[in-house]
Amino acid sequence: MLSFKHCKISIILACFILGFMLAVQFHSTQNSLKYSTQYQRMSDLSQRLLETERERDALKEQIKDHAITAAPALSKAEIIESGASAVKGPGVVVTVVDSDKKALADENVNLYVVHDEDMLRIVNELRAAGAEAISINGQRMVATTEIRCAGPTISVNNERSAPPFEIKAIGDAETMENALKMRGGVIETLGVWGIKINVEKKGYITIPAYNRISSFKYAVAVKKGEDK
Amino acid sequence: MIFAIISLVAGALVGYFCNITIPVEYSKLFSVALLAGFDAVFGGLKAISLRTFDNVNFLSGFFANALLAVLLVYVGDNLSIDLYYVALLAFGLRIFKNLSYLRHWLIKK
Repeated sequence: MLSFKHCKISIILACFILGFMLAVQFHSTQNSLKYSTQYQRMSDLSQRLLETERERDALKEQIKDHAITAAPALSKAEIIESGASAVKGPGVVVTVVDSDKKALADENVNLYVVHDEDMLRIVNELRAAGAEAISINGQRMVATTEIRCAGPTISVNNERSAPPFEIKAIGDAETMENALKMRGGVIETLGVWGIKINVEKKGYITIPAYNRISSFKYAVAVKKGEDK
Repeated sequence: MIFAIISLVAGALVGYFCNITIPVEYSKLFSVALLAGFDAVFGGLKAISLRTFDNVNFLSGFFANALLAVLLVYVGDNLSIDLYYVALLAFGLRIFKNLSYLRHWLIKK
């Protein structure tokens, strides 16, 4: 071995440089991890989650405030008409089922299934007969409700449902039943195609509330006599 | 042995507090240089145990190996040959070999 001192110094130098490099590399690896896309995405998502949660809490608070302040401002009739709450009372349950008749070879199969138009006719008839609240397969009918053909299903409140349809209507059961069953009425015309409509009078039915948040973007309420 | 470790730690501390970061694209080259440095140091320790330690040889080996490894990887990258793994393997093997030799030597002592 050469002089021990010399080799000591060179080893110290080498080790020092090595340690320096080690630390720098460690540092930059840590940093690059922070900027890697995966890490960024993760922090991004967690940030958004937090924000959404905060927003949700704020909205909950708002709902609470509204429930307290807004509820007494509406009259009972308004609450029922807007579908804001579930309602109960006497009425009829109308079940509509597709025809089980086989279509003849030269006939249109469409004639034998329930269409949105048929549903609309039934609902119209019920309304005319004084139905106060109506639901189709659990979807409350309100002013903005549509009854619309959606392929093989019918869309009500943007919620698709397939036969059998169950229409619940609260009102004078006698009148409504008669309105549906009258000569040349809905049941008779649809009965030709084998579509089965069953009307059942009930002393007590409940109809759920309108389950969508109605927010009006374009329409603004006007007070009486304020605008012409 | 102790002074080597102390200087290593000192270097690490200096490097850590210098707050230098290496761009990601050079990180690969740097890591190979680091490995070459390790290899040279372990080689030096082995040489001490064999009593064939040569100062100039050690220092020149330390720097030349590191630079050569970096150069090799750089060229390999540009030729799209993964010489990175070759350097990794070669240095890694040598480090293990030297380490096992040192272990034997320390146990015997």
